[in-house]
Amino acid sequence: MISKWQVKDHEAEAQLFNRRLIVAGVLVILLFAALIAKIVNLQVYQFDYFSSRSDGNRLHSQYVPPARGLIYDRSGTLLADNQPIFNLTVVREQIEDMDATLGLLSSLIRLSEEDIEQFNNRLSRNRVPFSSVPLRYVLTDEEQSRIAVNSHKLTGIAIEPQFVRQYPFSALTAHSVGYVSEINRDEIERMDDETRENYGGTNHIGKTGIERTYEDILHGTVGYEIVEKNNRGQVMRELDRTDPVAGQDITLHLDARLQEAAIAALGDSRGAVVAIDPSTGGILAMVSKPGFDPNLFVTGISSRDYNVLVTDEINTPLFDRAVNPYPPGSTVKPFIGLAGLQYEHVDYEFAIEDPGYFRLPGVSYRWGDYTLRTAIGGGHGHTDLQKAIFQSCDTFFYDLGNRMGIDSIHEFLSMFGFGQNFALDINYARTGVLPSRDWKRATRGEPWYPGDTINSSVGQGYMWATPLQLATAASIIANKGKVVPPRMLKEVGGVAAEPIVENAIPDVMVNDPDYWRYIEESMTMVVHRAYNDVFRDYGTAFEAIAMADREMPYKMAGKSGTAQVVGISQDIMKTEDIIVSDLNKDHGLFISFAPAENPHIEPQIAIAVFVENGEHGSSVAGPVAKQVIDTYLLDILQIDFAALEAEAVAEAQPLIAAIDE
Amino acid sequence: MSSQDFIRQSAGLGSSTAKPRSIWRIIHMDPPLLVGLILLCCFGVMVLSSASGGDQEVVQRQAVSMMIGMVVMFIIAQFNIHFFRQWALSMYAGGIALLVIVLLFGVEENGAQSWLNLPGLPSFQPSELMKFAVPLLMAWYLASRPLPPRFKHLFWSAVMILIPSALIILQNDTGTAIMVTMSGIFVVLLAGIRWRIVIAGFIALMLASPAWYIFLAQEHQKNRILTFFNPYRDPTGAGYNIIQSQIAIGSGGIYGKGYGNGAQSHLDFIPESNTDFILAVLAEEFGLLGILFLIGLYLFVLLRGCFIAFTSTDMFSRLLAGSITLTFFFYVFVNMAMVSGLLPVIGLPLPLMSRGGTSVVTLFIGFGLLMSIQTHSRPKIS
Repeated sequence: MISKWQVKDHEAEAQLFNRRLIVAGVLVILLFAALIAKIVNLQVYQFDYFSSRSDGNRLHSQYVPPARGLIYDRSGTLLADNQPIFNLTVVREQIEDMDATLGLLSSLIRLSEEDIEQFNNRLSRNRVPFSSVPLRYVLTDEEQSRIAVNSHKLTGIAIEPQFVRQYPFSALTAHSVGYVSEINRDEIERMDDETRENYGGTNHIGKTGIERTYEDILHGTVGYEIVEKNNRGQVMRELDRTDPVAGQDITLHLDARLQEAAIAALGDSRGAVVAIDPSTGGILAMVSKPGFDPNLFVTGISSRDYNVLVTDEINTPLFDRAVNPYPPGSTVKPFIGLAGLQYEHVDYEFAIEDPGYFRLPGVSYRWGDYTLRTAIGGGHGHTDLQKAIFQSCDTFFYDLGNRMGIDSIHEFLSMFGFGQNFALDINYARTGVLPSRDWKRATRGEPWYPGDTINSSVGQGYMWATPLQLATAASIIANKGKVVPPRMLKEVGGVAAEPIVENAIPDVMVNDPDYWRYIEESMTMVVHRAYNDVFRDYGTAFEAIAMADREMPYKMAGKSGTAQVVGISQDIMKTEDIIVSDLNKDHGLFISFAPAENPHIEPQIAIAVFVENGEHGSSVAGPVAKQVIDTYLLDILQIDFAALEAEAVAEAQPLIAAIDE
Repeated sequence: MSSQDFIRQSAGLGSSTAKPRSIWRIIHMDPPLLVGLILLCCFGVMVLSSASGGDQEVVQRQAVSMMIGMVVMFIIAQFNIHFFRQWALSMYAGGIALLVIVLLFGVEENGAQSWLNLPGLPSFQPSELMKFAVPLLMAWYLASRPLPPRFKHLFWSAVMILIPSALIILQNDTGTAIMVTMSGIFVVLLAGIRWRIVIAGFIALMLASPAWYIFLAQEHQKNRILTFFNPYRDPTGAGYNIIQSQIAIGSGGIYGKGYGNGAQSHLDFIPESNTDFILAVLAEEFGLLGILFLIGLYLFVLLRGCFIAFTSTDMFSRLLAGSITLTFFFYVFVNMAMVSGLLPVIGLPLPLMSRGGTSVVTLFIGFGLLMSIQTHSRPKIS
């Protein structure tokens, strides 16, 4: 019975507990009092301060879009710049009645249904709450002041500056540099999450040309800022900021002056010019005429302007002729001829007696000579390969092609990029057609006929090539077989761009390197060999180029081609306000490289000219090529051919003297 | 002699035994406490409904949790409190065992590895169990020893409190560890530990805190302390919650912006507006009056808890009731002080207001114990 109970004094313990409980109770009351004091301080004494911070000031996290990288030409001329514009922007969360606000806005400024539709698209994009969304781009000064005057009625509406693309050369670079335009829903959906985040503050994305190809380099990395805004959407102060990383500037091989020269040389004609530096593969000029103003697309082209561009079925300004295929015509003859030498179907001595037509054994059909026009009844007579090239003798190539067969033609011309896209960074370029037995079976479901080969050997029939491909092929001849794939990009951020070539394209190897000299000589004859009176049509290139400019300080190698117009849509045929016969005219083509046969300097430029409905290759496209080459060699590179010659002579003088002695 | 003492004591304090057995005594409910809790629950659901932006699912789940809590409270209250006293040691031992199992096989959720999935049972947190096992054990231990406790008893008390707390800290659940420790310390304080020891302990804690800050505190804990002293040193990061909740509270004013009109809360400026920071929503929408009403309700429940502790006849019941009541207060105060900027941010919910079923059920278990103490006939101690 005598246990610990004895030492416990219950009453004393209870009293001890009660005292403690009372102390605890007092503490509870005191602490609650402190708490209430704190809250009274916040809610009563600091009410005005916190109330204004709550009503007026809000923390906003928003994207800071990176500045888009600029695009320069090879000499540092700006091809794509960023210019400030003023946009009308809306913070959706701060607008109570959107319809009423839009109604008020449209009474103040021009606001089309398209603007509103686009705005709704932008709103539905993934975005940060309380971020501003553009409603209209490019406010005029007058519109800005009207908004400013009414700003008290326009809570959540602001005028924000933005940098957008500006293309100072307008139509001149419309196809090659391309343009940026507003990101659309499809593009957003195709992005992965990371990319989508990176485009959080970006309104524009490259749609065509270089702007699209190098979007990743040009765009940069998004930044973030946290700002306090008042209830009018104005930024009161910036709290935190992660700077965006601007996109890198890029430099292209293009030369704006050469672009201008090419457009000028084409004159009023529709067509395309592609010029390549054979040693680097750099594309010096790539124009398609007519062009369009790419600046229209940047801030949203109006449907009226757009309709004008797409409904013009004759000029098709949006269509990039430089990278779309046409029958190459006789421009393929140097390549076919070289194939003949390589596969030993001809040699320098081989010649045919040309009656002016070609006939397959056992077939009565005669393949006439396109060049002669007079067709049956007279021919080039005794014709070797060289003469066949500079006189553009179809019959010779009919015979050669027929003997060589389509398989050899396909194999050899493949090495020059026909039927493929050799360009490293023009992935939108078409590949044209280099026909083969397999191709015909796959696409037409028909076997290959000997007649198909005959058409192919003069660049007609199934054969299609783009001006870009023709310029590339010409540059390979200029390089004596060395393949340097064409490219647009020269430098990124001032550092020479080294493109990653996954499958290096092998050089064209021939049995005897002298073949290159022989072909170059034949092509130079096309331009520089004076004609005689035997053939009516022979020598037009000479007449239009070398004879027209007797002072020409360099020689150019060339080959003309004439491509038959394959078909014209019935809609166009019915149009009354154009001369239909013009659209039926053949397309004129000319490939060239220069300077040719110059012992002191390698070819500096290879070029392909396409003149739509130009009728003649040599007389129409040839002078265009000459004009562009003149500009490049004489104005841009400023090569002094006489001085080169004199220098060489001066160097040779002691040798000659030594030999004389 | 002892029985004589006991009778005297009963006559003086145990007034309820003399009253006729009412319906409340039969169902073992304490009407004032019950009314206070029901009012708190209703207010809590109402505020949560606004804070969650009218999310029916959230509100319903909270209401269901509260119903379950009420039922649990009712069941607990049916047991005589001395039933729990008898089981105190076993519960404690079992709880420790479960904590060890959790450390070995537990499931991690929200950064704390405190959930246990036992086959056939709903997943639960053994650390919640310790919130009762510790005060039960301490009350059992100290009530049967002479008070004020000797140093030897204090030492063993400290060991009994610190073992589960340490295990819970290992689970990375500091908030619960603090609550478990406090519920044990409250028993010791109420048991009459000498003031000089209390003061000495307090000073020791003050002196140790810089060492803790320098050597033991984790980066986010340091941030919270620094942010407490100056929320604007990182206004968009660590200080964001506290700045935004102060704006919400301050802008509520005396009368509040009206139910459902809290701009800060509805524009998602307050993170955790459904859980730890729900007081900011209440303060913004109901103003100072709302806060006073809530504090009034809490105070009512607390005073009733004190009354129950005061009037119970044996030391075990007193200590347990006192500890449960003070722990409840501690919860309320720490959360409110944290949200209003009086204390650094500690992740503790506001009782019966914050969203979260486990916390609600745990609280009701405590109230069930209080009701059991209040409504069962006084024990016969031989």
